[in-house]
Amino acid sequence: MQEQERFFNELVQKYSEPLYWHVRTMVGSHEDADDLLQDIFIKVWKALPGFRGDSDVFTWLWRIATNETVSHLRKARVRAALSFSRIDEQAERISDPDPYFDGDAAMTALRKAIAALPDKQRLVFTMRYYEDLSYEQISAITGTSEGALKASYHIAFEKIKHLLLESD
Amino acid sequence: MKTKLPYSTPSGYFDSLKSRLSEIPDKSKGRFNFVPYFALAVSFALLVMLGNFILTKSTASQPASDQEIIEYLIDSGTTLAQLEEAVYNY
Repeated sequence: MQEQERFFNELVQKYSEPLYWHVRTMVGSHEDADDLLQDIFIKVWKALPGFRGDSDVFTWLWRIATNETVSHLRKARVRAALSFSRIDEQAERISDPDPYFDGDAAMTALRKAIAALPDKQRLVFTMRYYEDLSYEQISAITGTSEGALKASYHIAFEKIKHLLLESD
Repeated sequence: MKTKLPYSTPSGYFDSLKSRLSEIPDKSKGRFNFVPYFALAVSFALLVMLGNFILTKSTASQPASDQEIIEYLIDSGTTLAQLEEAVYNY
């Protein structure tokens, strides 16, 4: 148990910050990212006895974080649908004044465009654009083929380009 | 991260985050997980209810024979007057 606790604390020290940014680029809001990080590390702690090292720590952690974040985004969409607000209203809300957003007008438009993407495309786009992960790494994390990821990224890129041109 | 992120965090956030996350093992030690025991109890109750339903249904679904009805009427102490009244009202 002590060994497990020591390993968990090593993971917290080494990976909590990059994992925060991984989640933050997908959800946008600091508060949501902070809540999600807590849930993610509770899951990590519970899953730790079953971690056999078959996949490397990075892939294992990013997989847990990605699944948790996608689940959060899905719930948010369902909640929005039940409250009769539309997806683009949701995207609008994400771009509301945020004290922890330092971007200029172009960055704000990009943030809004990313928020309007479907979950899978948003996931691939942020992992490539912000985290510079290879398709091979993203494939190991998401369990999706590299070909499908490339297609998703291409569609996301085109949609963002279209949205940015539209907003000009 | 290859691209400069347009996001920031409150000052000292990551120190506070690490400290909060490091408390997770201690918090989980004192917590008793009721969920599997509750699920077991619910499953057992459902099994009993299902068994009861099946048994009740199987006995109730068989119609009583005339002989059984006669025996019941005799054993229950039903009088002839009551029978005649029942037939008359029927």
